[in-house]
Amino acid sequence: MTTDAIALSNVLAELALRQLPCGGWAALASSSQPAIEPTCYAALALRSAPVGDIERAQDFLLRTQNPNGSWPVVPRDDQEGGWVTSLAVIALRDLVPAIPARLQGLHWLLNCSGKESNWFWKWKFRTADRHVRFDPNKYGWPWFPDTVSWVVPTSFAILALNQIPCSCGGLERIPLRVDCGIQMLFDRACPGGGWNAGNGVVYECPMAPHVDDTAIALLALSDRGQHPVTQSAMQYLERVAPTLTAPWSLAWSILALAAHRRRIGSLHDSLSALSDLSSTEDTGTLALACLALDYSRALSAFGVTV
Amino acid sequence: MSVTRRDFLIGSAALAAGTAVTAPFLLPKYHSDQRSKRSRVAILHVQQYSQELDQLLAAGLRLFPINVRGKTVVLKPNLVDYIPGNAINTHPLLVLAAAESFRRLGAKSVLVAEGPGHQRDTQLVLSQSGYQQSLRDEKIRFVDLNRDELIRTSLRAGYTGMKDLWLPRTVLEADFLVSMPKIKAHHWSGVTLSMKNMFGVVPGGRYGWPKNILHWKGIQESILDLCATVPIRFVIADGIVAMEGNGPLNGIPRPLGKIVLADDPVAADAICAQLMGFHPGRIIHIREGSRFLGNASTALIDQVGEIVGPPTKPFEVVPEFRHLYAL
Repeated sequence: MTTDAIALSNVLAELALRQLPCGGWAALASSSQPAIEPTCYAALALRSAPVGDIERAQDFLLRTQNPNGSWPVVPRDDQEGGWVTSLAVIALRDLVPAIPARLQGLHWLLNCSGKESNWFWKWKFRTADRHVRFDPNKYGWPWFPDTVSWVVPTSFAILALNQIPCSCGGLERIPLRVDCGIQMLFDRACPGGGWNAGNGVVYECPMAPHVDDTAIALLALSDRGQHPVTQSAMQYLERVAPTLTAPWSLAWSILALAAHRRRIGSLHDSLSALSDLSSTEDTGTLALACLALDYSRALSAFGVTV
Repeated sequence: MSVTRRDFLIGSAALAAGTAVTAPFLLPKYHSDQRSKRSRVAILHVQQYSQELDQLLAAGLRLFPINVRGKTVVLKPNLVDYIPGNAINTHPLLVLAAAESFRRLGAKSVLVAEGPGHQRDTQLVLSQSGYQQSLRDEKIRFVDLNRDELIRTSLRAGYTGMKDLWLPRTVLEADFLVSMPKIKAHHWSGVTLSMKNMFGVVPGGRYGWPKNILHWKGIQESILDLCATVPIRFVIADGIVAMEGNGPLNGIPRPLGKIVLADDPVAADAICAQLMGFHPGRIIHIREGSRFLGNASTALIDQVGEIVGPPTKPFEVVPEFRHLYAL
């Protein structure tokens, strides 16, 4: 077995151990409260692994869906839904019994948008509230309803909606909606390249990008590699990623750069060489490390064609 | 003048309608008055971050009748993001010194907890800001509040109109919560001190990054609701190198040479505001907080250690907050 394979097998084994009796995963190793985000990453990581109970994980996701088609952040959360809906739709990909649930989730996503899409808030952001530079005509998805669009939920929503091969059955709006989200991502980029949560310029001051936000946006823009904003973000990520030792950011960087056919060999080595990877307290990070160590399968799970 | 039965009924109905309309504005928005009769604040003069902080802080804490014996102490620093050269975060040496002091005072356990407001990769901020190695060396547990277990919690004030928030178990179960802010000017709230520091307990995993819901519900209002719900028992504010201008991330480091200790967050913030050259009464959450969370009036604050005086030059702020200047 190669070093990479051993690292992957160790991390997968640890991930399987952390699965809760309900089928889900908690965000932290010390917790027993299942949460949707780590469960989705774990379900994606274990899709073709010989360990863990993927069916129980998928059942958990199906059980926790809200009546309105969205998913809550944690079970018994408010039933209005949140950004993890995109992740759940992605995690249930290829599961035939989950098709109705996924369709409901997609409809919810189509009807959800940042608050700035409303004419009143558009007007406010154009006239009275202009300290954050952005174009309210270009809107994406919020973390949860009644707030404005941000980079990460928008990127995940684009990835989820892009997984639908046809725009029919009430989903005709998908291409337009996805395009609006993509324009929002381009609009919210940091002037020096890359993205942070979604504020590129505040009080005329250019803000610094974040590695994970940049990488997740780049995943969503895998078919827009030639756009100058994408190119500039890629340069930023290629410059910063080799200096990283934090597994979450390193894993997202590997996935994003691989999606854009960039060299990731040394990053992959750095991730598999992290000595304490399996003891990472954050279970989402652990699952992401699995995904990055097996990046071609992971990209396919995210619906990204390389 | 005689009052008919009809006049009486109309008058009563008008009074009832008027009360119904005005009551929400007149009734207090908080559930209980949490103020103590008097508050205590100590200002320590400290020029630089060094290993000597241990002794200085221990001496400062002796000015307060603190009892943490057998208790779980949670230190909540301001750890937002990392930008080289910017004085964004509470310095790790001060946090280590606080942990050591509370251990010596007999705390059952001392842990550090924070939910960074901008950066999702908590481990990255911990490592870049120097926390990770320091906490590991001193065997201090860190809890990522952005991903901690969540408990739906009824808010104990109604300034935002929200009935509840999902809050992290670690903070709710703490016996003694210490707010450890970095003294900074803030482009949305004027200042970020011990009370605004509580935004970090709102879990990003539930509410997103940045914690946008709090901005939509009103920053000042959210500060009040949070501080009413999650009581701060003590404040250790890092003003050795503070931040002025376009805070909380891109302001200019401002050497202030002070640590502010207090047993009351409102008193702490009022004194910090004065140190920054601001009129505390012009900062909404301090003014409103002084109605039920703590004392802002100097007549009700016992100052020990160095006595506060206005700075030779007030902190720079963005134009929207120039009305805060005391001069």
